[in-house]
Amino acid sequence: MQSDNVNSSDSPTLERLRQVLPKDRQHDPNGERLAQLLEQISRQKVPVGSFSRIWLLGSLQAKVTGGYLAYWLRSRFASAKQKVVLKNEARLTAALQLFGTMGYLRGAVMKVGQMLAGLPEVLPEEFAEVLAALHFQAPPMHYSLIREVFLDEFGCEPEVLFASFERQAFAAASLGQVHRARLHSGQQVAVKIQYPDISRTIRSDLRNLRLLLQPMCMTKDWRYQLEKLVDLEQMLNMETDYRQEARFTRDIRALFAPTEQIVIPEVFEAYSTGRVLTTEYLPGRHLDDFLAGEPDQALRDHFTELMTTATMRPLYHKRLLLADPNPGNYIFMDDGRLGLIDFGCTRVLTEEEEQLQHEFELAVMAGDDTKIDQMLAQTCYFDTVEEMEPERLRVVGQGARWQMEPWAKEGVFDFGDREFFHRGIQATMELCRKGYSRGAPTWIWANRFILGARGVVYRLRGRCDFHKLYAREMELLQTGERLPDRKIHTES
Amino acid sequence: MRISQQAKEETRTRIQKTAAELFLSQGFETTTTRDIAGAAKLATGTLFNYFPSKETLAMSMVTEAFRLGIADYQKRRNDTENLEEELFLFVSANLRRLRPLRPFLGPVLERSLSPFPRKTICPEGETTRTEHLDSIGKILVRHGFIATPEHVAITIYWSLFLGILAFWTNDESPHQQASQALIDYSLQMFVQTISGTHADAGADHAE
Repeated sequence: MQSDNVNSSDSPTLERLRQVLPKDRQHDPNGERLAQLLEQISRQKVPVGSFSRIWLLGSLQAKVTGGYLAYWLRSRFASAKQKVVLKNEARLTAALQLFGTMGYLRGAVMKVGQMLAGLPEVLPEEFAEVLAALHFQAPPMHYSLIREVFLDEFGCEPEVLFASFERQAFAAASLGQVHRARLHSGQQVAVKIQYPDISRTIRSDLRNLRLLLQPMCMTKDWRYQLEKLVDLEQMLNMETDYRQEARFTRDIRALFAPTEQIVIPEVFEAYSTGRVLTTEYLPGRHLDDFLAGEPDQALRDHFTELMTTATMRPLYHKRLLLADPNPGNYIFMDDGRLGLIDFGCTRVLTEEEEQLQHEFELAVMAGDDTKIDQMLAQTCYFDTVEEMEPERLRVVGQGARWQMEPWAKEGVFDFGDREFFHRGIQATMELCRKGYSRGAPTWIWANRFILGARGVVYRLRGRCDFHKLYAREMELLQTGERLPDRKIHTES
Repeated sequence: MRISQQAKEETRTRIQKTAAELFLSQGFETTTTRDIAGAAKLATGTLFNYFPSKETLAMSMVTEAFRLGIADYQKRRNDTENLEEELFLFVSANLRRLRPLRPFLGPVLERSLSPFPRKTICPEGETTRTEHLDSIGKILVRHGFIATPEHVAITIYWSLFLGILAFWTNDESPHQQASQALIDYSLQMFVQTISGTHADAGADHAE
């Protein structure tokens, strides 16, 4: 049971919380109220019928995360009238309670909270690490559950379908987990298996996320937030159909010739369904292991160039935006090839979005600020630049210009430049703090794509002649030069 | 003329098969013993020699499905499973055998397996419950848990299992995936509760 009067002298945790939580100068100068709120909520247990496995706000780290989320949400309505503030405080309390019950999105929300916890100053290295960890995670599955999935999907046990099947997963995936197996032909494969009924958990989490963000409902951009959440739900649901991912994988694989050193795994149809995806296993190392081997600059640059081409090609040739460029999706192969896996979170741009992107690139490369401002207004759903508040234009423009910097600069671009990456963080943080979210839902994915990829190449300390690679892709497009002779078969 | 044991078995099987077809096509509630006897080309009185009631008849199919489920579980078990995994295997193997009966299972289970006091006890329901819980007891003993008295653990388990069955009979998700997730979470919770490793799990509820 929980007493309403939490005495700070009795609670070392509360004292620590008070020390580390942000201070609201106007309403809560000592951080007392915020700390008490978090402490009270964290002592309450969720009913055991909840899908939650642990009560996250139980740890100090979770409380601090929750505290910063609360602080950030509070700042959205700090200037409102007292009555509205009280109403929102109640919503905030309810929202924080829900935070702990999230199953699927919990990890991601936790990481966003940790990122916000770094405010006002975030070190580039920390930011890159947070980005790397910013992904969704399904609960782990034991082998008995895997067997049931196989019986339902294939009518037989994994060890019958495959010549051999490793019972322990070797990697976690956003919606399930991945096991190594061997086909009867002897080929080694990676088998991605989805957690049963994950879409229900996603739906429930998004409902909670909406409630978590409810205190922001008084802000002007609230309806755009809601629109983005709808888009997020659609994308996540689309990700639950592995047949769609198989199609994306095949389409992207068809874009690269073997000489290009970019490897997209082959999909094995006979071993794949809507919930199980079997692809060629790509041996190699992930980013951390690769960096531990202290690769020289030439090798870092080589992989940076491959990564750039690997993401540009699907975007410019098939309108496919790889929206989840987390480090786990890149495989550094010993022979210098780059493996790219996991195409579940792929966004198909509309022709209009593609056109807008292309025009924006041209404006940036021409240094045409008037045109850039016009296009920013357009993407933020304003008819004219004049309609857009000057501060919004400045903050949104700052972020967009940072994102487009590699397009504007000729010669070698250094993605490992700390100052460059730091500016990107500042721009992103300012955008978050100001809560400027008015704009097309595609923004979420474009931002996730660019920030995620920049985080990876920053950690890689990689360089490449981005402009030249871009020009080559444009040339391929314009000359209509044939891409590798594999048939392309996109189904929308 | 005496009827041989084999002929009896054949008739019993024919009645079950006919009843299953009728339950599936016209529902359990609206099917009468007269309908079943007629479709099986038997006198109603003869049917009663085999099954004293429609509930017992339906439940006999459930009992047999559970027996096959237990046999499947024993065949598939490989002694490497931990308690949670083994319970999951056991429950899943049983539900897989019950699947063909799922469309008419709700009212059958409600009448024959209800944990609340009833005027008439369905003997087939009792057999099913006893055999099922015997297997659970053996699993718990094999894994050597000691923290919770066995009858408490068994009672908790049976309540949980009936809840799972109720959810599963109404589960419209493909391959009853929603039930699989529910079983996974429920069994994890059950194991944590009886093993006592999470002493305060669920102790205080939201106020």
